[in-house]
Amino acid sequence: MGKGTTVVMALVAATMGAVVTVAVTGTARETQAQGQDPATRPARTPDGKPNFDGVWQANNEAHWDLEAHEARAGMVMQQGVYPYEFSKVPAAPVLALGAAAGVPGSLGVVGGDGRIPYTADALRVKQENAEHWIDRDPELKCYLPGIPRAMYMPYPFQIAQGTDKIHMTFGFSNAGRVIHMNDVTGPPDYTYMGHSVGRWEGDTLVVEVSEFNGRTWFDRAGNFHSQALRLTERFSPLSPDAIWYEVTVTDPETFTEPWTIAMPLYRRLEPSATVLDYPCIQFAEEFMYGHLRREQLVQRWEGETMTVEITRKVPPGDLLHEWYRR
Amino acid sequence: MRTKSLITGLGAVAGLCLWMMATGVPASAHHAFAAEFDADRPVEFSGTVTKVEWINPHVWIHLDVKTDSGATENWAFEAGTPNVLFRRGFTRRSLLPGVDVLVDGYQAKDGTNRANGRDITLSDGTKLFLGSSGTGAPWELARPGVDTVDPGR
Amino acid sequence: MTRRLLESLGVATVCATVMALLINAVPVGGQSPETTVWGHPNLEGIWLDVYSTPFERSREFGDRELTTAEERAARDQARMGSQGRNVRGGDGRVDVAGAYNAVYTSAKPAGPRTSLVVDPSDGRLPALTAEAQGQNELRREWTLMLLRNTETCQSGAAGCRGGEYGPPSPRRFDVTPFYNTGRMNRHDGPEDQSSGDRCMSGRTPDFNGFRRIVQGADSIAMGYDTGQGQGFQRVINMSGSHPPSQVRLRHGDSRGRWEGDTLVVETTNFSPKWPFRGAGENLRLVERYTRVDADTLSYEATVEDSTVWTAPWTIRQELKRQSDEENRIYYEPRCHEGNYGLPALLVGRRVDEEAFANGTGPNPFSMDTATCVQGL
Repeated sequence: MGKGTTVVMALVAATMGAVVTVAVTGTARETQAQGQDPATRPARTPDGKPNFDGVWQANNEAHWDLEAHEARAGMVMQQGVYPYEFSKVPAAPVLALGAAAGVPGSLGVVGGDGRIPYTADALRVKQENAEHWIDRDPELKCYLPGIPRAMYMPYPFQIAQGTDKIHMTFGFSNAGRVIHMNDVTGPPDYTYMGHSVGRWEGDTLVVEVSEFNGRTWFDRAGNFHSQALRLTERFSPLSPDAIWYEVTVTDPETFTEPWTIAMPLYRRLEPSATVLDYPCIQFAEEFMYGHLRREQLVQRWEGETMTVEITRKVPPGDLLHEWYRR
Repeated sequence: MRTKSLITGLGAVAGLCLWMMATGVPASAHHAFAAEFDADRPVEFSGTVTKVEWINPHVWIHLDVKTDSGATENWAFEAGTPNVLFRRGFTRRSLLPGVDVLVDGYQAKDGTNRANGRDITLSDGTKLFLGSSGTGAPWELARPGVDTVDPGR
Repeated sequence: MTRRLLESLGVATVCATVMALLINAVPVGGQSPETTVWGHPNLEGIWLDVYSTPFERSREFGDRELTTAEERAARDQARMGSQGRNVRGGDGRVDVAGAYNAVYTSAKPAGPRTSLVVDPSDGRLPALTAEAQGQNELRREWTLMLLRNTETCQSGAAGCRGGEYGPPSPRRFDVTPFYNTGRMNRHDGPEDQSSGDRCMSGRTPDFNGFRRIVQGADSIAMGYDTGQGQGFQRVINMSGSHPPSQVRLRHGDSRGRWEGDTLVVETTNFSPKWPFRGAGENLRLVERYTRVDADTLSYEATVEDSTVWTAPWTIRQELKRQSDEENRIYYEPRCHEGNYGLPALLVGRRVDEEAFANGTGPNPFSMDTATCVQGL
């Protein structure tokens, strides 16, 4: 049983054509108590459906910005010496991280002409969101990321494919979603993660998601939506270890027409792969409440070439509480 | 502090505390009122519901209220937890924007337009106590004479 | 419109609804097959302990695990008449500070068990280790120290038992000498707040909440709706091994296997940041799930931490199936996104401190914002 196995997978993507060879060795043999060996995990359920059970993760730059973009100097930027967009430099919040503070480039995941079709008003909001990312992105408060964002954040997630429910557990903030494969009433109020109802169309899992509260973003670039958002997701197996994930986004209050995103999701093949918690409710407490401490805790950092000093401020009156409602 | 009301108040609250512990309500189930809200700032408004946030740990009811000067202010009143309400069939449609209500409670210490709600009175005079809350369960112990809405004082 | 509103608020129907809901679970799983599509015993569904069972056994029951019908009826009768459901004190502040209203709360009926704890055989937890007792004393002394200048202590209320009244302690600004997860009479920052106030009080194991079980081929997901939005997810991997010991997780790492028809789950790698009854990094949990019938799941949990308890202990409960439809679980059992109270707790204390500094308000440490007695 201690043999190595080589698996050749062919992945055909819309923007890339690549043949990936993956070698899976039998290192996990001794530690497998029961359950499936990754190399022989059934690709299908006993009733013939694709088996998506396991740990998955997107491997792209969509969580930074859904639209195609070249690499950027900083997660937060300011004007450089020149007035050009391309000569912007990292701004104060991220300067100390040097080259680790940038945003990698991406061919984008948006279909059609690659641009999200905002209405004129919504586009203004998107641009403001991008400019005020630190103050507005709900991810920074560790608020639930919503769908589809949770599906391509840089943390693994686990799919448990049951009889009439599919449960996804996300590493980010222990978020979760349940896809109902049977008939259930929707939630009593709007939600962050939406209400998901799924069905099979051949080998494709089609999921309709609705009942969003409009408070989540699509990415870190300020792309957003309203409560009217509806999604149609399609999960199609490319191989036992890769899923082609496509989403049609409809929101007549924000966009002039429906648009799509598409990307592969890859299985985490390491032995004992599991979703490790990213418990950011606690990580974000200083960010969220540090300005309300009796004595400021995080104030100053001293490096060899720079000193960073932080001054907190408390928004006046009701603005303080409004900040938490975004 | 006024001793007489202190002792009476203490007796009532001690009874409540014992009841809470007996029913196994976790101590973290409700907030420290005095830390957020000011007992010396009672407020009472009639207003129109603009939004209800059916969220944990507390539902928040937002109202447009007309102040004495004629200006319109937006206030947020803290209510109980939505869990039990949802299990009884309440949904976001149960308290709709546009409904006129009377609410009373105690304003936030920081002087913002937020309050811990005591009662919400509907236009027919029925009072719905907003109070703090505990955890919920789908089955009820029948409490004849108790499981009704207090007609109010 | 008003009647519609009234009816939608459930006011007119609360009584009727209450009387119609029976003590026993309404069977809903008649069609639940015995095995999943993978051939494993079928534990899928939403499950809940529908009874109010004391965690530890009252001493008068001795080693008796089950109650009689008369005992249950008597206990329900006593609780039915209990106060607090619609208490209106003379003081409105008392109403909002602690009162519970019928619309927002409900109570579970008494069940067939005398306690959740079944081992030790007297239904009570084993003795704490000296180390754990020392930790408890440290916590108790700290919380009493912070209450020293309050009326809770001046009047000798229960919240100050073991403490004394006096001027604010010179230690009141010290760093808390333990990792705090409870309430204290101080609000210097989020660390002074309880886990619940910080929306992270959900713990594994959980005995009180709803749990939804979804069984995949190689992993089982459990979504918990517990407390007021303190829900969480757990994943039980049916293969593989626990992570290295330096990886610590809030709900630990769970690895499961089938022993006949019973799902046995072992969980390790717990974190000291979210302790379960004082047990953190040394906690080891073994759970056993067995399907009894279409609507009943038997659940057993053995808790072991030799730095806290002198012996392992076990609870047992029967979980009843809930309906997706009628149950109306709050689909997103989270509270962090709506936790407007936490910043308000902090800012309220800052306002008090400013008033005290200006001479316009009392010393904040003379106000009890931690125990049951609120702001009197």
